[in-house]
Amino acid sequence: MTTDSSTSRLVEAAGAATKPGTYYGYGIPYLPIDGYPGKIIAIEGTDGVGRSTQISLLREWLEVQGYGVVETGWTRSELMQPTIELAKASNTLNKLTFVLLYATDFADRLEKEIIPALKAGFIVLSDRYIFTALARAGVRGVDRTWMRGLYGFAIAPHQVFYLKIDEKTLIRRVLQSRGMDYWESGMDMKIGDDIYESFRAYQRSLLREYASMADEFGFRVLDARRKVDVIQDELRRQIGAFLAEAEIPARPEDPRG
Amino acid sequence: MTFSLLHATDFADRLLYNIVPPLKAGMIVLADRYTYTAFARDAARGVDRRWVRELYSFAVRPDLAVYFRVPIEVSTDRLMARRVKLKFYEAGMDMGWSSNAVESFRLFQGKVLDEYDRLVDEFGLSVVNATGSITEQQRTFRKLVSQHLEIADDDRQLDEPLG
Repeated sequence: MTTDSSTSRLVEAAGAATKPGTYYGYGIPYLPIDGYPGKIIAIEGTDGVGRSTQISLLREWLEVQGYGVVETGWTRSELMQPTIELAKASNTLNKLTFVLLYATDFADRLEKEIIPALKAGFIVLSDRYIFTALARAGVRGVDRTWMRGLYGFAIAPHQVFYLKIDEKTLIRRVLQSRGMDYWESGMDMKIGDDIYESFRAYQRSLLREYASMADEFGFRVLDARRKVDVIQDELRRQIGAFLAEAEIPARPEDPRG
Repeated sequence: MTFSLLHATDFADRLLYNIVPPLKAGMIVLADRYTYTAFARDAARGVDRRWVRELYSFAVRPDLAVYFRVPIEVSTDRLMARRVKLKFYEAGMDMGWSSNAVESFRLFQGKVLDEYDRLVDEFGLSVVNATGSITEQQRTFRKLVSQHLEIADDDRQLDEPLG
């Protein structure tokens, strides 16, 4: 796919340079978000790094402290989830429609879940964010500038934690839990018929994509091979420091103040 | 945004399955609406104009783009005369500008038409006055198309050895 990259804004204003809580690119003109009190904290990482475990522990910890917490996750939009499942099952997806369906799902969750939550002062814990889409598209050879322009309607999170893992540990974890599936193995990329080799090659290129985004988007990198509670402690330390600084009033809707 | 992105997904699907293959085979593709519809409609809904244009940068630029232009009164009258029920999104009812479908249609499509006017200059669309009779419009349209195709192409094809 080719595209005229000279017109894109996002790359100039890209990633880490974008102020947290503002749009990466052109944004959504009919939804101004300036001054919304909520925060977005994104946990990124490939399959099997323990994102959901960490998020549920974080949620509990934040709620105990009186914060309002909303969770959002990849392809969980009400509008798009059935369509995406159907399209995946029917093998009619090509890389472009794949990318656009994911973007639609994200847009739906952004407008219906994330932005309203930010407005109301919630902490949005995002299980994966746009970086998953950028990595998957990058591996499939979709134009990088175009992808970043496409996600110019996304809001830069206040913190992005990247749970980094190596290929070997990842393979063992996935095999121990639910096994390798067609899409996670990148079988659509026709690397080969052997699902193990395909999974390995696909996940290796995904890890490279994530690594290349770490600087671009200011990832906070955590070693996902460590124990769950060690990672959780580190997350709490960094998130706690950020929230203390941001001075979010605890539970603004609580009448007792 | 989701409205815009769903249409883009549908367009990408049609582009890759129904547009690009015949183009590669040297055929003529007649597209009833193209990316310009999205540019006009999405901008009327308040989506960033630059973003939509970049979004569709994967599209093939048409060799000829013809815009059939009618004033808003004419298009409303035509739809009313057919006594069709206005579709929810076509009438821009999602914008919440008016609970009356006809009024909402007038407001929303008025904005869409303004956007089209902008596109005429930006993309050099050929304009056909669509208030005239079908025969008149078809004649103008045929003239535009034949100017573009230059019948000489047929001769070149005949010169190719059958092999």
